Amino acid sequence: MILETAGTTALLLVWGTVVGIDLVSFPQGLLSRPLIAGAGAGLMLGEPVVGLRVGLMLELFALDVMPVGAARYPDYGPGVVGAVVLAASGPWQETLGLATLYALGFAVLGGWSLLLLRRSNGRAIGRHSAGLAAGDAATIAELQYRGLAGDVFRSAVLSGAAVIGAMLLRPSLPGGDRYAIVTEVAIGSGLAAALAGALRSAGRGARLRWLAAGVVLGVLLAVRP
Amino acid sequence: MIAGFLQALRRLFLVQGAWSYERMTGVGIGYASEPLLEDLRLADPTRHAEAAVRSAEYFNSHPYLAGLAVGALVRAEYDQVPGAQVSRLRSALTSPLGALGDQLFWAGLVPALMGLGILGVVAGLGPWILVAVVVVYNAVRVATTWWALSTGLASGVHVGSAIARSWLPRAAPLVGLVAGGSVGIALPLAARWLLPPRPHAMTIALGTLAVALLAVWPLGPRVNPVRFGVGAIGLAALLAWGLP
Repeated sequence: MILETAGTTALLLVWGTVVGIDLVSFPQGLLSRPLIAGAGAGLMLGEPVVGLRVGLMLELFALDVMPVGAARYPDYGPGVVGAVVLAASGPWQETLGLATLYALGFAVLGGWSLLLLRRSNGRAIGRHSAGLAAGDAATIAELQYRGLAGDVFRSAVLSGAAVIGAMLLRPSLPGGDRYAIVTEVAIGSGLAAALAGALRSAGRGARLRWLAAGVVLGVLLAVRP
Repeated sequence: MIAGFLQALRRLFLVQGAWSYERMTGVGIGYASEPLLEDLRLADPTRHAEAAVRSAEYFNSHPYLAGLAVGALVRAEYDQVPGAQVSRLRSALTSPLGALGDQLFWAGLVPALMGLGILGVVAGLGPWILVAVVVVYNAVRVATTWWALSTGLASGVHVGSAIARSWLPRAAPLVGLVAGGSVGIALPLAARWLLPPRPHAMTIALGTLAVALLAVWPLGPRVNPVRFGVGAIGLAALLAWGLP
C-alpha cells in the first residue's frame, strides 16, 4: 500500500483541480479526459500503470459523452484522480472495478456541481444587469473572473473530496479474488458505453464502415496469441 | 491592433468561463471582444458603448470557433454595420459554429486522438504517448483559435462565405472517419489489456456488454452509460461482497 507524502497529496489535489477546470473553463486542452487525468495521477503516485488502467477504464465511459453547451454531462477528471488513489491500494484486478464505481459517482456529482455553477453565474448576471446594459467593460470582466473563480472553487472542492475520500476509504476497501468480477463487469459496462457513443457518432454513412472495419481489425489483433 | 488581437486571442481560451443558461457564452464573447473594441472607444465612443452592450448578449458556439464570431462581429462594428444587422449576424452564427465545432472536435478529433492514445497505452508506450496526444491536440486547438479570430476579423459580415470556402467543412467528415477507425481498433485491444487474467473474465465482460447494448440502451436516454455503469458495477460489488 502506498502512503502519500503531504507533497504528493498536494500535487494530486492541484492536478484534480486543474483537470476539473479544464472540462469547461480553461484551457479545454484534453487534460480533463479520464485517460490523461488518470495517467497524471498515476505518475504522481509513482504507479503509472495503475493510473493508466483507471484512466483507460473511465475513458471508455467518457467516449460516450459529447460536452455540448447546455447539455448536462459528467465531470470525470477529479473523480478519476481519486479513483487512482483508491485503486493503488491493492492488486489492480480486485480494486479496478470498485475504483471505477467511485469515479463514476464523482462524475455524476461533478456534473451536478457544474449545473449549480451555471445557475450561480446566471444569478450574478442578473445582479449586474445594469452594468451589462451600459456595456461596462469592468462589469463584463468581473463576471468573467467571478465565473472562473467559481469553477476553480468547484473543481478544488470536488478534487479534495475525491482524493481525501479515497485516502480515508482505502483501509476499509474490501479485497479478494472475487472482486475481480466487479472489474470484469466494469469493463463490460465501459465497452458498452464507448460502443454506444461510437455508433451514435458514426450514423449510417462512411464513418460506420470505418468503425466496423476498425472493430474487426482490433478483434483480430486482440485474439492473436 | 496587434496587442488587442493577442489579448483577445488569450481571452478566447477562457471564453466559457462565465457560462450561464441565460447568456451561455455571451459574457465570455464580450470579454474576448473588449480589447479589439478599444480603438473604437477613441474613434466613436457612442458606437463603442452600443458595441460593448451587443458583445455580451446571448451567444453560443463551439468554444474553439468562437473567434470567428468575435472577429466578424468586431469587424462589423468598425464597418459601421447597423446594430440590428450585427445582432442578426450574431444569431446566425450560433448554430453553424456549434455544429461544425462539435463535429470536428468533440465527435472527431477528441475520439480520434483518444483512440490513438489508447492504442499507444496498450502497445506499452506508457504515459508519454499521452503527452504527445495532448501536445498535438493543443497545437491544433491554438492554430484553430488563431485562424478563427483572423478569419473573422478579415471577413466581417461575409464570415459565412469565408467559413464555407475554408478547410473547416471539409475537415470535419475526414476527421470523423479517423475517429471511427481509431476507436474501433482501440476498443477490443483496450478490453484485452484491462481484463484480469482469469478463466471467465472475458465471458463476464462480454455478457455485461451484451446486456447493456441489447436490453438496457433501448430503454432510452434515462438509462445513460454512467447510470448503467453505477447500477451494474454496484450490483456486482454487492454480489462479490456477499459471496462466501
